[in-house]
Amino acid sequence: MEYIKIVEGDFNDILTLPYANAIRAGFPSPGEGCANESIDFNRDLIRHPEATFYGRVYGDSMIDAGICDGDIAVIDRLAEASDGDIVVAYINDEFTIKYLDTTHVPDGYILLRPANRAFEPIRINNDDDFKVWGVVIWTIKKWKK
Amino acid sequence: MLYAICDCDNCFVSCERVFRPDLEGRPVVVLSNNDGCVVARSREAKALGIKMGTPYYRMRAIHGEDAVTAFSSNYELYSDMTRRVMSLIRKSAPTFFRYSVDEAFCMLPPQDDATVKHWGESLVRLIRKATGMPVSIGIAPTKTLAKAAVNFAKKYPGYKGCCVITDDVKRAKALSLTSIGDIWGIGRKLRASLEKRAIATAADFAGKSEEWVTSRYNITVQRTWRELNGHDCIPDEEMAAKKSILTSRSFESMVSDLHTLRTHVANFAARCAEKLRRQGSVTSIVGVFIVTNRFRDDLPQYGKSMDLTLATPTDSAVEIIGTAVRILEMIYRPEYQYKRAGVMMMGLHGHEGIQPDLFEYSPERAEKMHRLDVTLDSLNRIYGRDTIMSVAQYYHPDGAHMSGKSFADIMRHNNRTPNPTTRWTDIIQLK
Repeated sequence: MEYIKIVEGDFNDILTLPYANAIRAGFPSPGEGCANESIDFNRDLIRHPEATFYGRVYGDSMIDAGICDGDIAVIDRLAEASDGDIVVAYINDEFTIKYLDTTHVPDGYILLRPANRAFEPIRINNDDDFKVWGVVIWTIKKWKK
Repeated sequence: MLYAICDCDNCFVSCERVFRPDLEGRPVVVLSNNDGCVVARSREAKALGIKMGTPYYRMRAIHGEDAVTAFSSNYELYSDMTRRVMSLIRKSAPTFFRYSVDEAFCMLPPQDDATVKHWGESLVRLIRKATGMPVSIGIAPTKTLAKAAVNFAKKYPGYKGCCVITDDVKRAKALSLTSIGDIWGIGRKLRASLEKRAIATAADFAGKSEEWVTSRYNITVQRTWRELNGHDCIPDEEMAAKKSILTSRSFESMVSDLHTLRTHVANFAARCAEKLRRQGSVTSIVGVFIVTNRFRDDLPQYGKSMDLTLATPTDSAVEIIGTAVRILEMIYRPEYQYKRAGVMMMGLHGHEGIQPDLFEYSPERAEKMHRLDVTLDSLNRIYGRDTIMSVAQYYHPDGAHMSGKSFADIMRHNNRTPNPTTRWTDIIQLK
């Protein structure tokens, strides 16, 4: 029998990122003992408040990664993008959310991979002017109807 | 002591480009309220010969409908993006003060050029990566020289965003390449006067004898001359004093209800506006703070401050009170007992600093503002605090739960971008 420990959260705070406290507890991990007055998402989940932006997901291109239409992505521009990360990039006049695949860099290109077989990966050649806009560090999904 | 000025490049345009990366390297302008004229230009727009204050219709007539991307001013976005930039600067420098919407001075301990240059370049890179905002940094032993240095950092990519002017050789070279009108503190009139005396560059001016300067010019100009020669003499406090106004009070008894707090804040804001009008300045940033009683450690503690950039620099009590109240409503939390609150005005400049063609007040709006100011002042005198409040609420910038129309509603802004950093409804769309 497993138990779910209920911890009182602090949900009253208006989300004003620039004023979020510096990370005191470091990156939270399950089971880690925290001696905080309360749990504060701004403090504990946002490592770089000045570099953090939000985006809303449209469509099903990442559905096999568990990212669905309507989810909110928390994007950190300071996090280093590495192979396998979910990233946000600006391509063809829109922001897109995809897996970053850098395994083909020696062959001269990188791939932005969807997590849905109905979609094609986007190929970007090394000499294209391409920058990852930010790295998705969390997604937020609403369950309660 | 070294001064570092950190300045956002083409600030408003850069804020827009963060969410439109496709506009990188293309001509972009930001328009004044009512989409009247150009108030910010990208480097490419400057290269096309578009001047500050060019009316929008004329720009379209000359350059065509699509050659230049024009945005309506979105001060909510600019306010949040510059706050992110300022926060990063504050964290990386021992002493910091914000000098305007998009500039901050840092004071650094003396250190060798390589170290300080590395600090500057790293900060430029950090801010660019974190926020997408390009900034430039100028570092020198005086504020005036730091301002000259930052112009070089902006002009020449070779500096990697940071120019350091410390030794005499670099200083002489930089000043000989800086025209007199580009020196901080040398306005148009002064420039004309100096040019009449055959002074074309900063080096010409700095090379004059002290006697030459003191016998012809006032103390402000003498200080500029001394600063150009490497002597730090513009006091921080004076700049800060001129550039900001603070009204704050401790309450006799602690306050926890929003209504009372709002009344206090509205009154502090009104007092700031009065001071502002008295010294003939306008403000571009309004800040509010509230704190609990730190001596009552038996009570939960809370303190918060926040500032907003105004749509147009103003000395209008109505606009200032409305903004202050709006900020209070954002930072207020009902579960605490507050002991002190304050209202700050930052980024002040004189009326002459705002060229009327730049920040085009529509005549009806100016008239309306003036009538309101007069009404407000008299109501305040006759009926007291709560009267101020009703007017302030009526002009709540959100206008959402008010019956009246806010200024924001009656202004034209056809090309305004959404507010992806401040409103959940506007966050970027990921496909």
